[in-house]
Amino acid sequence: MKRVSKVLMVLFLAMAVFLTGCSGDSGQEGAQDVKAGFIYVGPTGDGGWSYAHEMARQYVVEQLGIETLYKESVEEGPDVENVMKDMIDQGANIIFATSFGYMDYMEKMSLEYPEVKFMHCSGYKMTENMGNYFGRIYEPRYLSGMVAGLKTESNVIGYVAAFDIPEVVRGINAFALGVQAVNPDAVVKVRWTNTWYDPAREYEAARALLDEGADVIAQHQDTAGPQQAAQERGVWSIGYHSDMSEAAPDAYMTAPVWNFGPYYVEQIQKVIDGTWAPESYWGSMEDGIVALAPLTENAPEGAQAVIDEAQAKIKSGELKVFAGPIKDQEGNVRVAEGELMTDDELLSFDWFVQGVEGKINK
Amino acid sequence: MSTENPYLKMEGLTKTFGKVIANNNVNLQVNKGEVHALLGENGAGKSTLMNMLSGIYTPDSGSIFIGGNNVKFSSPKDAIDAGIGMIHQHFKLVDVFTAKENIILGQKQGGFFTNNKKMGQGIRELSQKYQLDIDPDKKVYDMSVGEKQTLEIFKVLYRGANILILDEPTAVLTPQETTKLFKIIKRMTEQDCAVIFISHKMSEVMEIADRITVLRKGQTIATLDKDKTNPKELTDLMVGKSVDLSIKRIETPKEEIALEVKNLSVLNEEKVQVLKGLNFNIRSGEILGVAGIAGSGQKELCESIAGLYPVHEGEIIFKGENLVGKKPAEIIAKGVTMSFVPEDRLGMGLVASMNIVDNLILKQYQAQKGFLINRKPAIAKAKEIVKRFDIQTPGIYHPIRDLSGGNIQKVLLGRELDSNPELLITAYPVRGLDINTCHKIYDLLNEEKKKGVAILFIAEDLDVLIELCDRIMVIWDGRVSGILDAEKATREEIGLLMVGEKSDKTEGAYAI
Amino acid sequence: MLYRIEKRSDISKEKSIGIRALAILLALITSGAFIFLLKLNPIDVYLSMLDGAFGSPYRIRETIITAIPLLITSLGLAIAFKMQFWNIGGEGQILMGAFFASFIALNYPDIPKPILLTLMMIAGILGGGLWALIPAFFKAQWGTNETIVTLMLNYIALKWITFLQYGPWRDPDALGFPKVPNFSPNAILPKVFGVHIGWIIALILVVLVYIFMKHSKKGYEIAVLGESENTARYAGINIKKTILVSIFLSGSIAGLAGMIQASAVSKTLAVSVSGGMGFTAIITTWLAALNPIFILVSSILFAALIRSGSFIQTAFGIPSAAASIIQAMILFFFLGSHFFIKYRITRKTSAKIAQGGE
Repeated sequence: MKRVSKVLMVLFLAMAVFLTGCSGDSGQEGAQDVKAGFIYVGPTGDGGWSYAHEMARQYVVEQLGIETLYKESVEEGPDVENVMKDMIDQGANIIFATSFGYMDYMEKMSLEYPEVKFMHCSGYKMTENMGNYFGRIYEPRYLSGMVAGLKTESNVIGYVAAFDIPEVVRGINAFALGVQAVNPDAVVKVRWTNTWYDPAREYEAARALLDEGADVIAQHQDTAGPQQAAQERGVWSIGYHSDMSEAAPDAYMTAPVWNFGPYYVEQIQKVIDGTWAPESYWGSMEDGIVALAPLTENAPEGAQAVIDEAQAKIKSGELKVFAGPIKDQEGNVRVAEGELMTDDELLSFDWFVQGVEGKINK
Repeated sequence: MSTENPYLKMEGLTKTFGKVIANNNVNLQVNKGEVHALLGENGAGKSTLMNMLSGIYTPDSGSIFIGGNNVKFSSPKDAIDAGIGMIHQHFKLVDVFTAKENIILGQKQGGFFTNNKKMGQGIRELSQKYQLDIDPDKKVYDMSVGEKQTLEIFKVLYRGANILILDEPTAVLTPQETTKLFKIIKRMTEQDCAVIFISHKMSEVMEIADRITVLRKGQTIATLDKDKTNPKELTDLMVGKSVDLSIKRIETPKEEIALEVKNLSVLNEEKVQVLKGLNFNIRSGEILGVAGIAGSGQKELCESIAGLYPVHEGEIIFKGENLVGKKPAEIIAKGVTMSFVPEDRLGMGLVASMNIVDNLILKQYQAQKGFLINRKPAIAKAKEIVKRFDIQTPGIYHPIRDLSGGNIQKVLLGRELDSNPELLITAYPVRGLDINTCHKIYDLLNEEKKKGVAILFIAEDLDVLIELCDRIMVIWDGRVSGILDAEKATREEIGLLMVGEKSDKTEGAYAI
Repeated sequence: MLYRIEKRSDISKEKSIGIRALAILLALITSGAFIFLLKLNPIDVYLSMLDGAFGSPYRIRETIITAIPLLITSLGLAIAFKMQFWNIGGEGQILMGAFFASFIALNYPDIPKPILLTLMMIAGILGGGLWALIPAFFKAQWGTNETIVTLMLNYIALKWITFLQYGPWRDPDALGFPKVPNFSPNAILPKVFGVHIGWIIALILVVLVYIFMKHSKKGYEIAVLGESENTARYAGINIKKTILVSIFLSGSIAGLAGMIQASAVSKTLAVSVSGGMGFTAIITTWLAALNPIFILVSSILFAALIRSGSFIQTAFGIPSAAASIIQAMILFFFLGSHFFIKYRITRKTSAKIAQGGE
């Protein structure tokens, strides 16, 4: 995977040189002139996704001492265009939009404001001044699946998920594969909430899964609602985005987490240096943009050793999460033994692997 | 009766509202054991004065003395504590409570739980003292108007009042109930209470009052002993000029029947029959008066004819055509006009927040063509009506809500008379109006009569009905209890019919 | 009780302006204390609020764009409110207007722009009007409480749009992300002076609604009916018809706002086309005492408040909730001042009976 992004990076660097060569006057912008805007889908205090980006923003300020703007709780709708316009109006020259639903609006804005740099998180669209970035969170998610698989006694693991888009589907599949790697009998039950950020709805979805017999709850959501539901029932949970042990100290075991800070610093530094060019970046555990949070004492005995070993293999490239054979829910082999899923396939994942109970609306 | 024992003294009371001086240096002395009548036209300042006495308003200047002590009221409670009890025109009783419960309502003593025995005893003692006939366990909704009023009086007496203010107490009563009320008032004065009696009806003032104070334009004009004055003098003082008090009944040729109502029955929302087979007719150029206790079916009768009330059975034949089932707008177009002045004077026929012009349009705009309203004719009409009826208003574009009750009514009548009706239905057109205006309205009705208009005139004042109308129809409980020739009718006779007791004289004699 | 509340008989213009000014001053002081708690300089924040709403041509345009749906919806609500029909279903009517218009836009993306936009407007008017007709019919026929019915219909409309967004109308090209496809360029309202022509429509509506309310027969009937149903019946007004017609109008104006938002702002159908304007418009309508001209003013001021709240959020990095609190405080004091214009509080003199010399 790393190779792909490196190839891409070289390509874009070449493109950047080409572009800067053309525009000529877009010389260096001093650190004083660079202002970065950040758009979050939830409140910064969500303890999850937006929090992870906010931490990264603060890291940027600390490292580069530049001015930043941010706006929280911005809906994934047309309003985000206004937020971007407002930021540009207030002097922002690079904007990070950190939710999938912002993609089309950001694409439009990038065409309208060619002098501003746009960075979209978790999407796939690119323009001459808009790049996208994301992390292979499925790698730590696979590891978290192993922890869940070792922990479950009922062999039912609940998974509270936001939207049935490829990003989330990929995560569920990676998680399920991780579970099966240590516990082939366990199933992963999925509940959709159709929201990134809604503590009450996520909590309710987790409760429903618990009622169906789940004894470990995992999530692809931005709040700790599911964690609290697990804690109340005295069972276990896997978080997401950041360490959620405070929300559910007796249930939380670990979580796939983000670390955007260094990447943001790198990108903004490039803007300052005048070397920025749009890219499609998909960082891995080896890059450090994603990681598995430390296991707590709620994690099953012996899990640490299993995880350590798998993690080392993933980082070295020895272990690929989506390596064949992989069967779908009906038992058909979708990825043959010895084959690897390509990034394109991963980016348009629209089927569940065997062992997942849930439905994708197509 | 001691004449020089001022129990209540009000000196130099002044109260202004914005730029309007409602009371200007008003003086009033009321003695123990006397009935003191307060006379004055609308807006003379009677209500303001009494509201200051009962603690609702605080005077701008001047002082009130009770038993020689200077008192200052800042709430109705202070006034009650000082022994002042006000009986309002609209009873303030809780319908679903018994008499006893209403009496103890809002009482301080007794705390959260009431001492039933003690209360019962107190009520008995008091009812013996004033000979007030009260059944403590009767619910208010079962009571007649007279009983409710007695209960109101009882309530204030129970709270220790010895100065009673009665605001137009007879407006809602039958003559028989009025007689009873006067007995109660006499009894109270015998017990050394002072009674302030506010009324428009000269005959009653002359009957019950010991002394009379006349107010005009916020000032005290005179205080007179009843024995040394007469209705003519009082009216002149009230109005400020000489007034002709007689009401003329003009003779018109008997013409054909304009309206014939046959076996009219209507049901109210609860499907209870409220009009029970009415039969009567009105000729062109005739005034048919309607007498009856409030709520005997007057409102339903008016509304049925105007097409506003669903008719259950019967026919309303106007100029040979049955109006039943026609829409209000069609009936208006046929020349039927109805003006009903309800207690609040605004419930029907007028829009409080609108100005005179827009209120005049109400009956005209539908005849106009097109999408938009042309206000020009109405503006001219508004100016004319304001002049003709002497309506006191800051201007024709002023919301009528801010006008006094009498002026609001003039707007309503002005509009209705202006539409050149063939059948004029008017209910309580003089309700609360001053004497001058009343007579103006009687004259207007006579003018219409002369033009050949058939008039159905519903009123409270029996004397006026007897003097003005050609015939008087008495209704009771949704039925016609008698139709009398006004020239030969007497108050007593009408009073009996109003409570459903047929007199010998009416039997068959005036059947249709 | 030491104080009591008295109704003012009348109030001079100077005094009423004075009370309002005091209210605004108090609002600024109170929210100033709050801003101070956020470790910011209140004066800086206030200046930048002004700056954010009117500080540049771009910001003025944005304020106007925010004001357009508020203004149009308020005009619609004013008609209903004049009849004392408490239409709090503006939100739903906006959404249904947007839905009808989107139906046209998505199904006939290629017909010529003027025709397509006209059809979309008609559809939007019908959508909002028909949606409002439901509570109007219930009210006219069975006397149901319109407050509850209109409120509940908001949620039905909202869920209906959500359903379309996740289900039948989901954009197949959005990689599963639940959104409705974007409109074709033909379905998007053109701009005049950098702002979509919704502003011209809004200004025309101000005039039309003003004429309708003040000079038309229907407008007159609505006013009479609003004041007293008895009087309306007495005057021969067809009450059911008047309710149906006026509420249809009320809803259709909101529906037109929905069409404008979908076409010019969202450029697609989304739950966010209403953006709470159906509720906010209730405030602007009342602040303006139902007068179309004043509604124009109150909508712009309110839009400025919304915009400046959003501006300080990014400019000072304060949480969105804190910005909302500042907005709410300003509004609270301003609305509260209406109470003091209508009533006054007087000090009670003690209720003792002073002893006079005998």
